[in-house]
Amino acid sequence: MMVRAEVTRVAEIASGVKKIDFEWDAKVLPGQFLMLWYPGYGEIPISISHIGNPKSITVKEYGNVSKLICNMEKGNTIYFRGPYGNHFNPKGKKILIVGGGSGMASLHPLIGPGVYGIVAGRTSHDLVFLDEFDRDKVTVSTDDGSMGVKGNALDALKLQKLEEFTSIHVCGPEIMMFRIMEHLVGRDLNVEFSLERTMKCGIGICDSCSIDGKQLCRDGPVFHISELSLMKEFGESKLTSAGERVFTNVHT
Amino acid sequence: MNLSRLNVNLCGLSLETPFILASGILDQNGYTMQRILKEGAAAVVTKSIGMVPRNGYAPPIVFPGDGYLLNAVGLSNPGIDKIGTEVKIASEAGKPIIGSIFGKDAEEFSLLARKMESYGCAGVELNLSCPHVKGFGSEIGSDPDAVEEIVGDVKKSVKIPVFAKLSPNVTDIVEIAKAADRADALVLVNTLRGMAIDIFARMPVLSNAYGGLSGRAIKPVGLRLVYEVKKETGKTIVGVGGISSAADALEYVMAGSSSVQIGTAVMESGRAIFSSLSSEMISLMNRTGFDRITDAVGVAVK
Ligand SMILES: Cc1cc2nc3c(=O)[nH]c(=O)nc-3n(C[C@H](O)[C@H](O)[C@H](O)COP(=O)(O)O)c2cc1C
Ligand code: FES
Repeated sequence: MMVRAEVTRVAEIASGVKKIDFEWDAKVLPGQFLMLWYPGYGEIPISISHIGNPKSITVKEYGNVSKLICNMEKGNTIYFRGPYGNHFNPKGKKILIVGGGSGMASLHPLIGPGVYGIVAGRTSHDLVFLDEFDRDKVTVSTDDGSMGVKGNALDALKLQKLEEFTSIHVCGPEIMMFRIMEHLVGRDLNVEFSLERTMKCGIGICDSCSIDGKQLCRDGPVFHISELSLMKEFGESKLTSAGERVFTNVHT
Repeated sequence: MNLSRLNVNLCGLSLETPFILASGILDQNGYTMQRILKEGAAAVVTKSIGMVPRNGYAPPIVFPGDGYLLNAVGLSNPGIDKIGTEVKIASEAGKPIIGSIFGKDAEEFSLLARKMESYGCAGVELNLSCPHVKGFGSEIGSDPDAVEEIVGDVKKSVKIPVFAKLSPNVTDIVEIAKAADRADALVLVNTLRGMAIDIFARMPVLSNAYGGLSGRAIKPVGLRLVYEVKKETGKTIVGVGGISSAADALEYVMAGSSSVQIGTAVMESGRAIFSSLSSEMISLMNRTGFDRITDAVGVAVK
């Protein structure tokens, strides 16, 4: 079933990253996503960054379809299917969010008063939703050192007293998440990761998004560290859009 | 659970239950196939594999409707040389893997079948719904001469059982079934041709416009084709099309199917459907008076 909604606002919130608001009266959980259709051009998976009403998606230009979506204006119609996928399970009073680049979009619904954050990007222009955190609760890392810690999300994470957090939620490039997983596994921490793979169908039949036999679009995209750390394909290999296995070997 | 009442011998393949994963659903990644087998499928059929890698069509490649699904994946596949790795990973589950293949002629089909055999596949399934180079827009499976030649050549090329999967998009299914007579069994049916239009966007939803229709909506069509072919040819049949419950499966068995394949229902019920179908089927057999599932094959065919 294709849903239609009207775009009510478009704002650029980081370099090449747009937040697009739309009216949609549906229950969405933090971490879920949509399959967004741009008629005549294509369909892509997109996290729902704001789950109230209006809802929003936060899109970075990287391909043909995402560029078209970024160029949408107030009053345009968006078409989509969903919401799909499982969700984050924040627990306790002291929550830490770790987002790399546009990975922050899926984590956004967890941001609230008192929530701690690590916001990572290539430069100071790539930091998504930085302003939404309390100033004293957020740590920034940039690859070029233009703001915050010079380095990556893991470098910023190492500065935290992690055992104090009741739950930790991570989203970003697979290499970043793999390094964080390696650093945290075996410790008494409650950590969830939201993964990203090719998604062609969103409904658990095409097998393009699978990892260790589980479908990101249905069993995921959120996995607990206890499960993720046992997955053979995480940080190791994935399938191309034709289905050819390519080795990423992040771990070697 | 004791599944012995559901055991099936399908052309020499011993299957724990009659429930096999259909081609094209969760079957390109070896780890996915392995998990589905461990979670209760008796066998899996791989996605249809051709000579070279293909990306397939751009999304939207699926449109989930009310009681049906449309898909236009576009024969996306990694190519025959790469699928061996996935078959090997899937084989760790210790259950049969059936390699599905598509080609442009008998020569390609035979070569692909030999490769699948060399990878350790327990059987090979010929996807005859692929496009026919000779007839624009039509399927190889609608040309009886092509079907006869492909099936005959593949049979001569491999020792493993050969399953010919027929297209329902033909005028006379019995004519095609007879042309495929040299296959060890017939698989009926592939998707029906269909489409969906978004009335607000004023265009077809699938990027390819046309797609294959599957799911609950096609069950009466598949069932009739199985029944008719069983009645007219007596061949061993694997039924597929819209099966989402044990009752659906038992209808297909009574129409003449020795085993059944499950595709679209995995989208609705998840991978767990295989184990629930098995337990549902045992209680259904108690209510309908069958000791073994094999006793029900073709009982409704008059
Ligand atoms: C997404 C999708 C992809 C499919 N791909 C193939 C394929 O590669 N080869 C093939 O022989 N059949 C393919 N089929 C057809 C199925 O194997 C099956 O014949 C059909 O869907 C009817 O069964 P169902 O109603 O249980 O899904 C595909 C079906 C779907 C839904
Ligand atoms: S995107 Fe198709 S199975 Fe997940």
